[in-house]
Parts: sequence; C-alpha cells; structure tokens
Amino acid sequence: MLYSRQTKARQFMRSKIRRGFLLFIWLVLLALPSAALAEGPTQPDQLFRDASNLISAGDYETALEVLDRIPAPGGTDSAADFIKSRVQKAQLYHALAMFDEADASCHEVLALFPDNIEATNLLDSLAKAKKPKWLLFIDDMKLFLPSLIQGAGITLFLVVITMVISPIGGLLIALGRISGVPPLRWLSWFIIWFFRGTPLLLQLFFIYYGLPSLGVTLSPTTSAIIGLGINYSAYLAEIIRAGIESIDSGQMEAAKAIGMTYTQAMRRVIVPQTYKRLMPPVGNEFIALIKDTALVSTIAMVELMRSANQMFNTYFNVNVLIIAAMIYLLFTTVFTVTFETIEKRVGAYENR
Amino acid sequence: MSHETTDENIIIEIKGVNKWYGKFHVLKDINLNVRKGEKVVVCGPSGSGKSTLIRAINYLETHEEGDIIVDGVKLVDDVKRIQKIQRDVGMVFQQFNLFPHLTVKTNVMLAPIWVKKSAKAKAEKRAMDLLDRVGIADQADKFPGQLSGGQQQRVAIARALAMDPKIMLFDEPTSALDPEMIKEVLDVMRELADQGMTMVCVTHEMGFAKEVADTMVFMDAGNIVEYSTAKEFFEHPKEERTRQFLEQILNH
Repeated sequence: MLYSRQTKARQFMRSKIRRGFLLFIWLVLLALPSAALAEGPTQPDQLFRDASNLISAGDYETALEVLDRIPAPGGTDSAADFIKSRVQKAQLYHALAMFDEADASCHEVLALFPDNIEATNLLDSLAKAKKPKWLLFIDDMKLFLPSLIQGAGITLFLVVITMVISPIGGLLIALGRISGVPPLRWLSWFIIWFFRGTPLLLQLFFIYYGLPSLGVTLSPTTSAIIGLGINYSAYLAEIIRAGIESIDSGQMEAAKAIGMTYTQAMRRVIVPQTYKRLMPPVGNEFIALIKDTALVSTIAMVELMRSANQMFNTYFNVNVLIIAAMIYLLFTTVFTVTFETIEKRVGAYENR
Repeated sequence: MSHETTDENIIIEIKGVNKWYGKFHVLKDINLNVRKGEKVVVCGPSGSGKSTLIRAINYLETHEEGDIIVDGVKLVDDVKRIQKIQRDVGMVFQQFNLFPHLTVKTNVMLAPIWVKKSAKAKAEKRAMDLLDRVGIADQADKFPGQLSGGQQQRVAIARALAMDPKIMLFDEPTSALDPEMIKEVLDVMRELADQGMTMVCVTHEMGFAKEVADTMVFMDAGNIVEYSTAKEFFEHPKEERTRQFLEQILNH
C-alpha cells in the first residue's frame, strides 16, 4: 500500500505536469507573505494615516469609509483602534452637520463600551449642537424669503393682470362665438381653436423669441401678459359661452319684449345671471393660472419659480423649493376662499 | 276675415302671414286686424299656432311671408323698428320670465331706466305705483324666487306696463299657475281691460274670455278657423271644429 503510493507519487513528480504544479506552489508561497502583511497588525495605523490624508484633501466620504474599515475589537484587533476610529467618524460627521450619523457612530462605541467617556462626551456636545429641523428651516426662510417674495410679487402681478384681461377677452370671444355675424363666429372659433390647441409654453416662446424675427420685439413682461392673457381668454370664452347658453331663452325674450337691445339684455339680464354658475369653473382656471405663471420663467421673467430655481441651483437646499411651494399654496388658498365667498354672494338670490 | 282694413283705429294688422318651422307649416295665411282698445282672445288646441301668432306680433318669432303692421310700423328685419314695436307692445309669458337676479322692484324699473332713460327716482316711483296696482307693493324688495306663481305673474304684468305699452300680449298667462292663483292674475287683467288697454290674449280661461273679450279667434293646425264676437262664438259657433273644442274645454 505504502509502496504503491510512493511509486505513484514518484511517477507523478516525473510526469509532464510536474513543472506546472511546482510553479503554482511557488507562486502561492510568494503571495502568502504579502497577504499576511496586508491583514497584519500594522493596518489600523495605515488606515488612520489614509483617513487623515483624505480629510485634509477634503474627501470626507472616502475618509469615513476608510475609518469604517477598522474592525470591531476581538482576537488581535484592538479596542483602542476601534474606539478611536468611531470617535473620529463621529467628529467628522459632526463637522459635516450630519448629526444623526454622528450620534450613530457614538452609539457604536457605547454599545460595546458603555462607560467610554470620549463617546459619552461627544454625544452630549452633539445634542447641544444639533438644532431642531424646524429651527434650521426658519434659518433657511430668513435666507431665501426676501428673493422668493420678490419673485412672488411678479407672479401675483401677472396673475392679477391676467385675471383682469382674460374675463373681458373671454366675454368678447364668447359673444363672438354666439354672434349672428358669421365672420365674428369664425374668428372667435379660430382664436379658441388655436390658443387652446397649442401649448402655452410654445405660445410664450413664439411671442418672446419668435416675434422678433417678424420685426416685433416685446419685453418679457409684455410677452408674458399677452401670452397668458390670450390663452386664458380662449379658455374662459368657452366657459362664459356655456354660461350664457345655460340661461333660459325666456330671459332674452322677456328682455326684448320690454324693448331692450341685445347689448342691454346681455349686460343687464343674461350675463349677470351667469356669474354664480361661472364662479366654480373660472375659479378653477385662475388657480391653474397661478401655477401656469411658472412657465414665463422660460422667457426671462424672474417670478417665483425662477427665483426658487436660481436659489436652488446656488444652495442645493431643498427648503427653497418647499418655501416656494408654500407661497404657491398660500396664493391658491386665498383665491379659493375668495372665489367661494364671491360665489355665495353673487348667487344670494338663488338661495333665499 | 271680413274685417274693414281701412279702419283708422286698427293698431295691429296681420296680412297673409305664413310661417314654417322647417317643413312644418305653423301659420297658414293668417289675416287678422285688431282695433285700438279691442280685447282679442285667441284659443285653440295645443300646436295650433296661437302662441306663435302672438309672439310674431312683437317679433319674438319671424315670419316668412306676409306683413305684420303694428301701430303703423311694418315689421321687417330692421333692429330699430323692431325695438320700437317691442317698446310699445307689452308681453306676459306663460313662465313669467322674471329676471331672477333682480328684486321685484328692479325688475319693473329695468326697462324704464335703460330703455326709456327715465331718472331712477321717477322709475322707482312709477314701479311702486304699478306694484301697488297689481297688489304686491309690499313684496317690492324680494326676489322673484321668493314669490308665489300668481304674485310673479302680477309682477310680470307690472313690468310690461312700466313701458306704457299701447298693446298688451298675454301668452297663456295662467297656464303655469296653481288653480287658486289664477283668479288674482285674471283680476289684474280684467282691470286692465276695463281701463281700455288693447289686449291680445292666448288663454284657455273661457270664463274670462266670455266676460272680457270683444273678439274670439279660434285656431287649429295653423289656420284661423273661426273669428267672431265673443257672444256669437260661445252661443252660436259656426264651425264644427269650434263646437268640438268648446265642448271639450267647457266640460272637462
């Protein structure tokens, strides 16, 4: 048995693959010492050095990763290295104002060494340094609000101007739509068809960037007012037309029968009766308008959306967007409540 | 229609009027004259064209053929003329057609202020007088929706009278009313008749017609079937169709 094994081994050594096998063993033996060195006890020192180099180079993220590589104590791994690394991590997080992560790092130490004085002290100072989120938000508000309010002023200006223009334009187009004069009907139909059928953004681009090539150069404000005004007139026109057509035809007959002209009948009898019915859909349109004004930021108007965007690009602070959203919500809420109040008031005769 | 067309007192002259709704022939060669102060009651089954006829008199309906001459003004497609006629002819509708967004008083004042350009104070005084006349001065500041049907119809009469019309047209003024409210409206109409107003009235109220009408017109299928004095009409109707109608309506 023994003999035959030796024989086989001898035969093997003599075989053709002997040389290859020996080469493999040799390579393994060469690799072992370097692997042993990498895992060896000198590693934490090296890591600490790396980390401090990275920190001074400003690469905090990698530094944190490097520190994290120092293992928890056990076997040959030292407790002191572990504590040192986690405390350094906590300090780094602290400097970066990442208080939750700093806390977590301290707790990592305290979980194994509950009496560690370093971690306990750091945790205390963290609690002091860590401001409540809402306080930070207030700080951001102080920083961002002045410019956002300026932008909001422009937004409000555009909304109010459009709210004045578009019902007048809408009424004229609506009257054109139901007019007995065919060219007026066609013109009104065309305006509605075109401005409802193309994106507002495209219309704004055309007015601001496109018209100059036709020799008409308009300021961003004028372009915005024209774009929003016509677009919203087209939308309101259909709402107003529906409102007028919903009034019983007997009302027009009665107005004519007492000698009123068409214009008088419309002005004194028909249109006033549409107010209550028009309030909900018109209110809807105006709330959409508040948000659509954001589109004019693309034609160089610094309204609320644009100022929010500018500051977000500077500070990369999401609170800018939150504050802008709050201002939009404030506007829409005020408008909603106002419209509900007006609706109740103008329709009072129907509720008695 | 053996009516003297040369009479100077004629205030409404309808000559050979034809009207179609698409293919439907609503008014067939209608001839009718109304003298100043005359009370004409038009009756007939529904769909006979009586409402269309009365609405054609103040141009709420157009006609394709024939002439309608009101107070010497021929109704043609001329806005100015039509408005003059509409100012001079008052109309009361089956559904009242009061303006719901205006108070009762403002309903009555509206035309005097905007059409006649009366001073507001004057129009208001006149409105209150008229509302007093139709017995609802105490409701002047309410909205139409707060009034009963009878009250609303009386407001509608006051509103028409506010323009001092020469002619009053009534298009089934009591048909939309609850029975107990019919009388209050007919009373106002009776009073108006007593004061000498020229009235053309489409109604099924035969008691009222007997009492007030000078002339009865019976229409069926777009034709004037019978035209006679009220006495003759109720006591000796000439046409079989009229007899049938009267029998149905009086014995219902």
